[in-house]
Amino acid sequence: MSAGTPPLSAPPPKPQVRALNCPKCGAGITLRAFGQAETVVCESCRCILDAKDPNLAILQQFEIKTSDVQPLIPLGTRGKLRGTDYEVIGFERRHSTLEGITYPWHEYVLFNPYKGFRYLSEYNGHWNDISICKELPMVGGGMLSGTSASPNYLGEVYAHFQTSDANTDFVLGEFPWQVRVGERAVVTDYVHPPRVLSSEKMDKEVTWSVGEYMYGREIWDTFKLPGSAPEAEGVYENQPSPVTTNVKGIWAIFILFAILLAGLMMGFDFTARKEQVFEQTYHWERATALGESSFVTDVFELKGGPSTVQVKSWAPVSNEWLYLNYALINQDTGRAWDFGREISYYSGYDSDGSWSEGSRNDTVVIPSVPSGHYYLRIEPEVDPAVRAISYSVQLTRDVPVFGIYGIAVVALLLPPLLISFRWYTFERSRWSESDHPPMQISGLNVNSEDDD
Amino acid sequence: MFRKFYLLFGLLTLGTVAFGQYRGWSLDTIDQVKNVPKSVRDNPGSYRSVYSSYHHYTGGK
Repeated sequence: MSAGTPPLSAPPPKPQVRALNCPKCGAGITLRAFGQAETVVCESCRCILDAKDPNLAILQQFEIKTSDVQPLIPLGTRGKLRGTDYEVIGFERRHSTLEGITYPWHEYVLFNPYKGFRYLSEYNGHWNDISICKELPMVGGGMLSGTSASPNYLGEVYAHFQTSDANTDFVLGEFPWQVRVGERAVVTDYVHPPRVLSSEKMDKEVTWSVGEYMYGREIWDTFKLPGSAPEAEGVYENQPSPVTTNVKGIWAIFILFAILLAGLMMGFDFTARKEQVFEQTYHWERATALGESSFVTDVFELKGGPSTVQVKSWAPVSNEWLYLNYALINQDTGRAWDFGREISYYSGYDSDGSWSEGSRNDTVVIPSVPSGHYYLRIEPEVDPAVRAISYSVQLTRDVPVFGIYGIAVVALLLPPLLISFRWYTFERSRWSESDHPPMQISGLNVNSEDDD
Repeated sequence: MFRKFYLLFGLLTLGTVAFGQYRGWSLDTIDQVKNVPKSVRDNPGSYRSVYSSYHHYTGGK
């Protein structure tokens, strides 16, 4: 090897940072997409430049319509999204106008030299992680060509949510397409929470993308952003429902419980002894009722384990009352069940027609009465207008109490009703923002099938 | 999670109903009195119900 002769295996030249300047204003241009971007925006003079052109030809210059358009994630910020490092290289603001109301949202372009581009969208604190579809969504066994009510993508059926115009009104950084301010696209969104399938039609070109809902705090964690994410407002189109339970499944369980409850009721009704242990009719006359009116019955036996005792009273009252003080007394233990029952029945006619209230019958069920020998102490009190009245008392052992089943049904109904109400109010909020508000179609049912 | 809760809740409800029916529960509330003297059988007036002198509804429109 002689002096002055370059070595045969010379090291490769070091990568040189090419200084790029805006041809319009001379400001420095930062290129982060390793030459894969189509357009880049000069942050200084708002010129959209051709990133493929070595001379950065000016494609468009736009005016800032608002001075407060600042990306929540600054350009150049890096973060690990779903296991891959990405850098934020572009930002755009778009808007739709529906019924005179403008709805703006933001989109971020992310780039990884090996994985390519990915996107984030943000609307009112709701975020979506978006990527271009790997295959065209299908419908009815064929490729989807237009808007469809339920396209299928990777085995998941999506429901049409909304079709609207998307207008770009602000751009910053680099973009893998020929971005322009003022460009308009027709965007159709189909949802299958937490995913959204979007078709974006511009001229004759249709781009399909699929997004997955992300919470602001996940974005903040991913990009290590200072502070906390803005609170999400309202319910977004593909926001996961807080009701993660399959509501239909809960109702199916309720039906199963109701059947079991009916079985229990029939079983206990069938096996209940309903044994009549005492029955007597008494006659009361005011003329002979001077002095102590209370009396006791004969002793009767209640058999079996602790069970109900039903006391039925009847009296032919008419616009009068009879009150019976009862005490069911165990003659061996001295334990007594003390209660009073009123039998009253009133009826008549007035301007509304005939009316009546009360009943000539009264029934009460004494709970958990142990076996033993019992008698009744009865002390009648009678309406002063009554001169004489007969009344009967009947005791039946071990009768089923159906009211308990009614309470059980209400208790079993409450959880499904609460979860259904919560699910319904959330889905109603979601679909009220769609092209299919809940009052018009049964879109809620369409979407509830996959709520699991 | 909710499904498991509901299954447990429902089974507990059914179990409570079955136990209540077996033990003779009732929806009526009845006062219990202990140690009623045996003399009541011979002298009913020696016992006074807590419901005596009840204010009776005289009803009607």
